[in-house]
Amino acid sequence: MVTVAESEYPLASRRRRRFSRQRIGRGLAPYALLAPAAAVIGVILAYPLYLLVSLSFQKYGLFELIRHKGRGIGVDNYTRILHDSQFWQVLGRTVLFTVVAVSLTMVLGTAIALLLVQVSRFMRLALTTGLVLVWATPVVVAVNIWHWMVDFEFGVANYALTKLHLGDFIRHDWFESPWSGFGVITALVVWGAIPFVTITVYAGLAQVPQELLEAAAIDGARPWSAFREVTLPLLKPIFVILISLSIIWDFQVFQQIWIMLDQRPASDYYTMAIYAFSQSFRLSEYGLGSAIAVVMVLFMFLATIVYLRQMLKAGEVH
Amino acid sequence: MRVRYLAATLLVVMLAVAASTASGGTSRSQADKIVVWLQVDAQNGWPEAVALANRNFKAQHPDVDVDVQYQTWGTHLAKFDAALAGNNAPDVIEMGNTEMTKYMAAGAFKSLNRSVFPNNKTWLQGLTGSCRYNGKLYGVPYYAGARAVIYRKDQYKAAGVTGTPKSLAEFVADGKRLMKKYGKGGDYSALYFPGKYWLGSMSFVYDYGGQIAVRKNGKWQGSLNSPKALQALTQLKSAVKALSRANKTGDEANPQQALVFAKGKVGSFFGNGWEWPYALDEKVGNPSLAPVVGAYPMPSHTKGKFMPTFLGGSDLAVPVTTKNQALAVDWIKAFTSTAAETEIAKTGNIANTTKLLALNAANPKLAPFARAAKFSWFVPTSPNWVNVENADVIQNMLIKIFTGRASVKAAANSASSQITRILNSGA
Repeated sequence: MVTVAESEYPLASRRRRRFSRQRIGRGLAPYALLAPAAAVIGVILAYPLYLLVSLSFQKYGLFELIRHKGRGIGVDNYTRILHDSQFWQVLGRTVLFTVVAVSLTMVLGTAIALLLVQVSRFMRLALTTGLVLVWATPVVVAVNIWHWMVDFEFGVANYALTKLHLGDFIRHDWFESPWSGFGVITALVVWGAIPFVTITVYAGLAQVPQELLEAAAIDGARPWSAFREVTLPLLKPIFVILISLSIIWDFQVFQQIWIMLDQRPASDYYTMAIYAFSQSFRLSEYGLGSAIAVVMVLFMFLATIVYLRQMLKAGEVH
Repeated sequence: MRVRYLAATLLVVMLAVAASTASGGTSRSQADKIVVWLQVDAQNGWPEAVALANRNFKAQHPDVDVDVQYQTWGTHLAKFDAALAGNNAPDVIEMGNTEMTKYMAAGAFKSLNRSVFPNNKTWLQGLTGSCRYNGKLYGVPYYAGARAVIYRKDQYKAAGVTGTPKSLAEFVADGKRLMKKYGKGGDYSALYFPGKYWLGSMSFVYDYGGQIAVRKNGKWQGSLNSPKALQALTQLKSAVKALSRANKTGDEANPQQALVFAKGKVGSFFGNGWEWPYALDEKVGNPSLAPVVGAYPMPSHTKGKFMPTFLGGSDLAVPVTTKNQALAVDWIKAFTSTAAETEIAKTGNIANTTKLLALNAANPKLAPFARAAKFSWFVPTSPNWVNVENADVIQNMLIKIFTGRASVKAAANSASSQITRILNSGA
């Protein structure tokens, strides 16, 4: 690291000057190469983000939309949200949903990745192909297919479950009770999220040195302890990243709920993203919707930061 | 190295120039296309009227194309808002009569001159009212619809029901007879009534003398929890429980109730005039049912009277962002001409002019709907009304009632306080 380069410096000053000019040139090159991409991202993301935040401090309804001009009202939108009991209900529901979905995704994804290591080459190929196909299907297409499968009148999943004698599901309304409805939606979200987690963890498992596992086995460690003591600490950086990404994605779930419920979800099904969209586009309160979106972003940011700090402190990642 | 840098710079400059000129080439010139947004009801129900209007418009303006884009009721307002913000709104848009007030109050439409439109002196009063705001006209009445019970005459006969019921109690009793005869499989409905069908449900409320909201001292007060409304909702709940096996969390458009009726496991449903021929459609319905389908106005709980039906209707408006106002007005004139309105009326709707009412009354297929239209109810006339629709307040209340997740009183109380809040929210 730093110590190696320092040893060259005690040499003649002329050589030091030549080194530093080259060093500056070499130091600037990465930034120069990054600059175009950063500029594009800045324009595409920063400007809308700025607009979103400024909109959250304005009254912007249909009247203002037509005239393309809002009315500044300070933090009124924020106070309105924080005093609205529905906002807290929706936030609680979204947090619960995120926790459940992320846990299931990580557990099942890791389990399948471990399975991938054990099975024969053919099964591995088949399984990986299946995972990639799931990953490659556009979300809207996948949700529409699931929507048809659990349809009230004609759902093929209902038919299949009934034929398998698991109960009478013909003309069963999965969405009558929010618990059962969210069960279906969670299954859908987790199903879509598993491929990414599995393939990433599988790649990480390849980094685990076989000798360590063999040594653990010789020492008499059971498979679960071997996993916990050897594999898990080595995979920690990957898990940190996957869990953060999963939290961010599952907190913003929108399409699955929106399409499954025919674009008119009952208020019991509102998550933060749907609540923000519904305030903006159904009730034409764009300022309020923007404020909700800003609160969402801050919340996710905080949650991820807290989690990351905890992981890094506890693990002292090398 | 320097040649490489030069080549890269040249490439970037070329791309930038190409990009900037490419975007400039697609701006709509003044007179080559107009965009019209109609609802899928027109696409399914009266495509001949649309074709007729387009032909007549083309004859008048040979070098202008008409791009008719069909929208669904659930999504068209959000799309319209986005289009208004992006300055690419259509030149003509079909709006529901309950949706007009909010948009007129926000200044979304151009004001129109009544005298240029056909039959303007005999426009239906109820519909015209929904097009006026602050003394100006912002829309043209397009058509109105009333709902009646569309039923299977053969199934009624086979279950021993003679004639048609004259009161709600008779209706429920007849329905129970139908359920006894056909309902063993668990998928037959004597009355197909999905949970979110609020337009059908509120007919019960208004029949018993209740209202969605009343105006007191200049403020709106949600009144679905008044004693009369509660009585109506309780009756509705027991009728639906006995007679309907439809999805309690679905609505009447997904799946389209006329098409479910066409599949044969439904004794009757509460639908618009155009849903009768739609059930018999060659492509998606069942034409063989034609001889055994009939209709009658939904009976009131008071014997001998009819339940008030929602006087739904649509208006045609010209968004304020249009650059082709004259062309848009001409297209509306073509689409609301006597010839086009006759086509629309033939499929079971009520045309926008009283001149064509007689057409409906003489036709046995349309007479029940014309009779039903005489007793109607309408939503509270507040600019914030459509926000109540958009927030699904009444639909959510009905789902809670039909699924038993809340008592009628609790669900109605919650809905009423939400309606009060939304209708009174400051504009």
